[in-house]
Amino acid sequence: MYQSYIGLEIHIQLLTRSKVFCGCKASFGDEPNTNICPVCMGYPGILPALNEEAIRMAYLTALALNCEISRNTVFDRKNYYYPDLPKNYQISQFGAPVGKNGYMDIEFHRRRKRIRINEVHLEEDAGKMIHAGEVSLLDFNRTGTPLLEIVTAPDLEIGEEAEVFIQNFRKMVRYLGVCDGNMEEGSLRCDANVSVNLRGRGLGQKVEIKNLNSSKFVRKALNFEIERQEEILERGGTVRQETRQWNENRDLTEAMRIKESAQDYRYFPEPDLPPFTPDEEFLHSVSSLMVELPLSRKKRFMEEYKLTDGQADFICEERSRADFFEQTIALGADPHQTATWMSSDVKRHLNRLGTEVNESPLTPVRLAKILKLLKEKKIHVKIAKQVVEKVFTEDLDPEEIIRRNGWEQITDRNELGRIIERVLRSYNHVMEQVHRGDSKPVGFLMGQIMKATSGRAEPQLTQKILWEKLSLRVVNILSMGGAISATFEDGVIVPGRLGNVKDLFPDRKSFNGKRIRLEALELANNLSEEITPEDWALLLATINEKLKSTDSAGIVITHGTDTLPYTASLVYWFFSDTEIPIVLTASSTVPGKSPEAEENLKNAISSTLTGEPGVYVILGDRSYSPVNLKFQHVGTGGFTNWNMEKPLYRGPSIVPGDFDFNRETLKAGLEDGINRSFIARVFPGMKADYLIALINAGVKFFILELYDTGTANLRETPYSIKNTLLYGRERGVKFFCTSQQEGIVDFSEYITSHELWKEGAIPMGGLTTESAYTKLLVSVMVSETEEEAVRLMESTYESISI
Amino acid sequence: MVKSISTEWKEIFRSSEKKNNYLEYVSRWEEKIGAFLEFNPDLGLKLASGKGVFEGVPFAVKDNLAVETFHLTCGSRILKNFLCPYTATAVKKLIDEGAVVVGKTNMDEFGMGSSTDNSALKTTSNPWDLNRVTGGSSGGSAAAVAAGLVPFALGTDTGGSIRQPAAFCGVYGFKPTYGVVSRYGLVAYASSLETVGVLAKNISAVREIFEVIRGEDPMDHTSLEYTPSGKIISEPVLGVLGGDLGLDEETERSYRKTIDRLNKLGFPTIEIDLPTMEYVVPSYYTIAMAEASANLARYDGIRYGYRPEFSENPDELVKTARNRGFGDEVKLRILIGTYVLRSGFQEQYYVRAQKIRTAIREDFARVFSEVDIILMPVFPVIAFKHGSEGLDQFQQKLADKFTSSVNLAGLPALAFPASVEGGLPVGMQFISPPFEEERLFRVAEVYEREFPPADPPGYSADWR
Ligand SMILES: [Zn+2]
Repeated sequence: MYQSYIGLEIHIQLLTRSKVFCGCKASFGDEPNTNICPVCMGYPGILPALNEEAIRMAYLTALALNCEISRNTVFDRKNYYYPDLPKNYQISQFGAPVGKNGYMDIEFHRRRKRIRINEVHLEEDAGKMIHAGEVSLLDFNRTGTPLLEIVTAPDLEIGEEAEVFIQNFRKMVRYLGVCDGNMEEGSLRCDANVSVNLRGRGLGQKVEIKNLNSSKFVRKALNFEIERQEEILERGGTVRQETRQWNENRDLTEAMRIKESAQDYRYFPEPDLPPFTPDEEFLHSVSSLMVELPLSRKKRFMEEYKLTDGQADFICEERSRADFFEQTIALGADPHQTATWMSSDVKRHLNRLGTEVNESPLTPVRLAKILKLLKEKKIHVKIAKQVVEKVFTEDLDPEEIIRRNGWEQITDRNELGRIIERVLRSYNHVMEQVHRGDSKPVGFLMGQIMKATSGRAEPQLTQKILWEKLSLRVVNILSMGGAISATFEDGVIVPGRLGNVKDLFPDRKSFNGKRIRLEALELANNLSEEITPEDWALLLATINEKLKSTDSAGIVITHGTDTLPYTASLVYWFFSDTEIPIVLTASSTVPGKSPEAEENLKNAISSTLTGEPGVYVILGDRSYSPVNLKFQHVGTGGFTNWNMEKPLYRGPSIVPGDFDFNRETLKAGLEDGINRSFIARVFPGMKADYLIALINAGVKFFILELYDTGTANLRETPYSIKNTLLYGRERGVKFFCTSQQEGIVDFSEYITSHELWKEGAIPMGGLTTESAYTKLLVSVMVSETEEEAVRLMESTYESISI
Repeated sequence: MVKSISTEWKEIFRSSEKKNNYLEYVSRWEEKIGAFLEFNPDLGLKLASGKGVFEGVPFAVKDNLAVETFHLTCGSRILKNFLCPYTATAVKKLIDEGAVVVGKTNMDEFGMGSSTDNSALKTTSNPWDLNRVTGGSSGGSAAAVAAGLVPFALGTDTGGSIRQPAAFCGVYGFKPTYGVVSRYGLVAYASSLETVGVLAKNISAVREIFEVIRGEDPMDHTSLEYTPSGKIISEPVLGVLGGDLGLDEETERSYRKTIDRLNKLGFPTIEIDLPTMEYVVPSYYTIAMAEASANLARYDGIRYGYRPEFSENPDELVKTARNRGFGDEVKLRILIGTYVLRSGFQEQYYVRAQKIRTAIREDFARVFSEVDIILMPVFPVIAFKHGSEGLDQFQQKLADKFTSSVNLAGLPALAFPASVEGGLPVGMQFISPPFEEERLFRVAEVYEREFPPADPPGYSADWR
């Protein structure tokens, strides 16, 4: 088995006002040769004068990379001839750079890994030579702009990891404000050293790769190169030490034509600059510039504000965004609410404007105000969304917008009571209908109240008062079929009807002393093994409708047992932030055969009346988490939860607030995900070829059910999935790994799991196959990009307490 | 107003008559000695600030110091047509005090040489004997001052380039402590060794010019604030070298004579030992050439300077420009400098030379705990003849040990006209610890009062 080693050489252009050794403007995109002077043009007799801003940024970056900070930094001359290098030597640092022996931690598939930083040194950039037909043109505007070179140890192993490193690094330098991190424009440049060798044999022959001007190219080029080198070694060949470049048009690395002889830079100390010996004052000024870095800030946000991984990731992506978030929190806004709004409505407006939040009309004060009004029920969600929009378009304070548009919500109990009384009086007959046991008109009454108040009645309070006045609670029963609604005819179970469920409680008008109205809907009448995307789409759309209608006290879903773990987790991923209880229940026997069906339904209905909001699975007298539900055997007590120390019923939803719950859209979305997904359970003798055939048939996402904490056969034999992983990775196929056993899949234990991780498989932690599968469907549906879907899939640990 | 420079000098540009007299005097000398590569007082008058302690005083600038609108050739073909866009700090400070640059003086190409015969552009001859060299590399400046074409000139000293021509031409040549005068605008040959300095006819002029040009410069981060101890030693003890110093007859005689005279003037002398002296030349040349190989890399014909009409590619352009643009001595030094810096060889050459440099510095420090000033010859021989009758390049290098040791140690030194032997001036030098320039000036003043420098035949001040 091979081991690959990747070291990166990163250059960043520091965001100083002037160049590193002269007073010229350090800016880009100006007319060629306009930001130049005798110093940066290397005129005879000039001397470099060190820019203090540049050296401060260099020290700051070295500090952020946990380096040993130099007390005596020596500049050296690096001698080589090139037309774009005016002095024909570059002032750099060789023996005593700004920083040495540091590290940066990255998180790759939930694993924290420490990447050592060999050194950080400050140097000057060269100009640009452009070949234009017969002539070569030179632009010296860039000459002498401060460049910081960061060299890592060969601690990275695969392209994906290097990509994560580069992304983290980019985020870090942007946080520090030392570089804008633009890889396309070359303000952040990356070269890589790659070597491959048999495991345990140390570094192999080093190949340098240039021209990696996006993090995606870093990943692709390195993976290509590792594979290329492995193939050479596999054939018994030797890898040639050379410099290659990434050809983005052909998706491969190719050898660069470079002078044969090894370049001798003849470094020696720069006699025109004394060593830089920072005093305490300088070092103190550097430390005072240090900011909380992205990774630790994200970690703190998750701990302190209980944000999900995805939310924290989004908020901490930009320093200005994270600052905005904390400023809003400091004004009393709820962290979860703030994060939700920032990552949905606010984000959408910003994307449209193509700007960052700190440059938009939305200020922390304004957002905090909107959230406060929302919390105090002065406005409701729909109005809040409109207020946000108007802040962006009209640049006004929320109160002003609400005042101008007359959007204040009516929250006064007495006032609302009076309005409701008035409405009920004029619809006396409707009220009677309700008291006869038909709750359908409740929605109609709500509508009339809203009409009477021009939509300003606070919905929840209005509903509460209305119910009080009607002395009624509505529980919706959604029947999905299954044995619980079936009949037993001629020795076989026949798919049931809604009537069967309803018949369990004929004319029942109160439960646990509460007056209720059961409202039942038959969504499907299959046995649960026959469930289709269409059934799911209908279920989800109906749940959403009931939640929206605001007259439901709770929802009970009757379901078959076989696929309950799938449906339960699917419902959870969609509605984990529900405001009312959603209870799934089932029965292994048909009603009448045993009291099971009746008991379960009774318990389910009861719990909607007494329970906290959340998604539950109620079977017998036990409640289970809808996530990680396992169907172990037929009969009472046949279900259990895996990897659940504390059952999970409620939490932030991964589905955005403005998700389209249209039935057809849902159906199409689910089918799209399902058609590209496959659950594969590894078994002795599993062949890579079969899985490859599936990839060729269009499978894009695998849920791989491995052994133990994530192992599988990865030897070079036909009965191994190694080639599937390689084949899939090249084609962007994702492998999400669960286990056949209870336990956590994290790839840290065995060598084979390490290999899996190296091949880009993604551990699902404590998630079961069923829950991972449904989460995948939801993730794909709610994500704009595949990367986003993968990120959602990875944010598993937060949702499951282990 | 400074007193060291006679008021006539300050008047020469005040009337066209005086100016014409001046131009006539200069051209009479220039035909013979060729001190200037560019003589153009009108350009200098345009730059002049008009006010200050050197108001109206003309001075010459070695052609490796930048003066806006003048050329900056460094005596090289490669920079023959280079017009300078900026002014060196030291020059600027003098201009700010009213002084007027009249021209740029000849020099060995990029300062590499001890005769000024390595100039690719012109031959300069010694005003005392036109068959002889002026010394170098600041030969043009020394000759111009000796002939009375300017009351003072700026030069640069990397390994003796001010002091040796000053000694050959019978004027004062002063090299300050390293870093005390900004190097901004001095075209680098060996950055860690060289300083800007002064050549003048009298010692008080040297002192007054030094007062103007010294001081920390934000444009030169190796420049230093001038921080002398301020301690005045009433009876300084002079250290002198004993044994066979390998001097020619005239120089040997002059050295003994100078010691004698100084004793009589009340300065006790004791014999000192500088064992590192033997290692000075190899160490000096290793460091100087290493730095030169990088410093001269910028002359590639791309942005300025000599460029061939056509080249196939950038590489060829650079090769041709350098091959045609540089003289042999420059090429030799670049080659050796490149050689000693190669990876794997640095330890053997460059690093070792730096170690010797440290030892030399320590050697001097030790001596200065016993004596206050060191008196040494500047050069083992008097001004030699042009061409093959003179010293070859290798002998010239060996002869640099008295001067270049001072550069390695970064010390201040003053070459002064000690005596005239056989019709030619002989110079000696005083050396002091860093920042103790005042010691040099005081002892030189006492000597000057008793033994004023002689002028070369044909020198005149009557035209003023
Ligand atoms: Zn510049």
